[in-house]
Amino acid sequence: MRELRLIAALARVALMNAAQYRASFLVDLVTGAVSTVGIVLPLALVYNHTERIAGWSFHESLLVTGFFLLLQGAVGLAVEPNLSAIVEGVRSGALDYLVLKPVDAQLVASMQRIAPAKIWHLLAGVGVVLWGLSALPSPSLVASLTAVVLFVVGLFATYALWVLVICTSFWFVKVDNLSYLLVAVVDAGRWPVTVYKGWVRLFLTVVIPVAMVTSYPALALLGRLGPWLAVQGVVVAIVLLVISRVAWLLALSRYTSASS
Amino acid sequence: MPSRVALWPLAVIDVRQLSKTYRVPIKEPGLSGSLRGLFVRRYRDVHAVADVSFKIEQGERVGFLGPNGAGKTTTLKMLSGLLHPTSGDISVLGFTPKERKNDFLRQITLVMGQKQQLLWDIPARETFELNRAMYDLDRADYRRTLDELVEMLRLSDILDKPVRNLSLGERMKCELTAAVLHRPRVLFLDEPTIGLDVEMQLEVRRFIADLNNRFGATVLLTSHYMQDIAALTSRILIIDHGRLCYDGSREELAQRIAPERRVIVRQHVPALLALGFVEDHGRMVTTAAVDQVNMLLEEVMRRAPSAEIGVEEVPLDEMMTRYFRSRGERRDPS
Repeated sequence: MRELRLIAALARVALMNAAQYRASFLVDLVTGAVSTVGIVLPLALVYNHTERIAGWSFHESLLVTGFFLLLQGAVGLAVEPNLSAIVEGVRSGALDYLVLKPVDAQLVASMQRIAPAKIWHLLAGVGVVLWGLSALPSPSLVASLTAVVLFVVGLFATYALWVLVICTSFWFVKVDNLSYLLVAVVDAGRWPVTVYKGWVRLFLTVVIPVAMVTSYPALALLGRLGPWLAVQGVVVAIVLLVISRVAWLLALSRYTSASS
Repeated sequence: MPSRVALWPLAVIDVRQLSKTYRVPIKEPGLSGSLRGLFVRRYRDVHAVADVSFKIEQGERVGFLGPNGAGKTTTLKMLSGLLHPTSGDISVLGFTPKERKNDFLRQITLVMGQKQQLLWDIPARETFELNRAMYDLDRADYRRTLDELVEMLRLSDILDKPVRNLSLGERMKCELTAAVLHRPRVLFLDEPTIGLDVEMQLEVRRFIADLNNRFGATVLLTSHYMQDIAALTSRILIIDHGRLCYDGSREELAQRIAPERRVIVRQHVPALLALGFVEDHGRMVTTAAVDQVNMLLEEVMRRAPSAEIGVEEVPLDEMMTRYFRSRGERRDPS
């Protein structure tokens, strides 16, 4: 109950904060559109020359692309703004005040900011998924639910990864570049995972499980995701969340507040 | 009321042989040095706080003095639980600060004059509301405390302005409010008046004294402004190079390092120059040992019968200058 009240208070503040920047709604409308075109257009160009890539037709690939846009949108909406604020807080020492509050610092630090303008990216993602589905047999209810659940689980896995990167900032102080690296790796998720072979595929599904967030929900919608893979996705997410929690607690316990 | 406290007053803060040592990489000069530093780092130990012990009782107001880098802030951070001591024991309200237990955090506060917890883009009232949720304060209690603080600090006009539009002084008042909404029993204040103009300094000082009187809060304060310390605290801790070198009342300190009085004649009387007075902004000023003061006053009244005369203690900041100078000479006899 207490946590719920705290979450409500945090959401209120995050929204008020975001409302200060009305211009970003327009800016993100444009960047959302540009990045959608930037991802869909190359895909369309490649499919001009071939029917299938690694077994995926154009409209099947659009599902992956749609989930990728949704992932970008969700990370930009709620994950990235908070975690970059933590990095900044470690550097400036502003985290001091948070650490001295009788609350779970991870909960508060993960919910202080929100970028509602990223809603455009989410809408674009939904649009692209629907476009893909329009030319495919409509998925069953179970398949649709599985896809949604796997996507949400995948989001938590992505959050956990970001937290792990952030935790290193408690040691190395300046890690903004690391999160750019992560963004670059996440970018690999825009292609169906079966395009990748061997170690790379394993890396993208288990270590940095972006494939899980984009390809698995698409496979579920297509009715091609075995139950074993669905379970694997959930397990990977839980393991990552546990590891990131432990890393966070460890990092916090050795937090040394910066300057005076 | 907890009976244990009433029957057997324990020290609110009990610090024993506290030390904090930082390992800092040695920066070698020049580009080649920097490059070498990337691969092979050599470290040296910096003893920020070394073997410090003291006790503070319930409701005391204590001033923490020392030059920059003496270890004041490091000590406050260890007392509040932000930093882990390298060795030694700290007990604050019976808790070990570094464990950062919620029951401990609910009863203390740390204000850092150079950092802010107020959310920059929205009104201070929203930060207060957020703190209410974080400390899980009862709404009625919270309202009462906030009303009281708003009245004490005259905040009613600035509560609903975005923090970025507030002046430094207004912001500091809101920072203090955010820091004490949960009615902490112990206040750690690190440079709470830094950068404020004189009037605002006075207001913040009055507020801290008021908090101590009304809520019975124990206050440990550091400040660059000696007037803060002089006005707010009767007990002084002096720390230098990480070591506690004085713990006692201001009067004792004055007797030890400045056992003289300053005699001021508030008008220009050239005849006093012969008595050792010097002119200072149209006034005549000199210092005299305590047992010489009466004699000096008689002499002054004979030479300038109508003058207004004052006798003062040596100001605290001058005392400190002398104190650290004498310590420096002892340490470095060259």
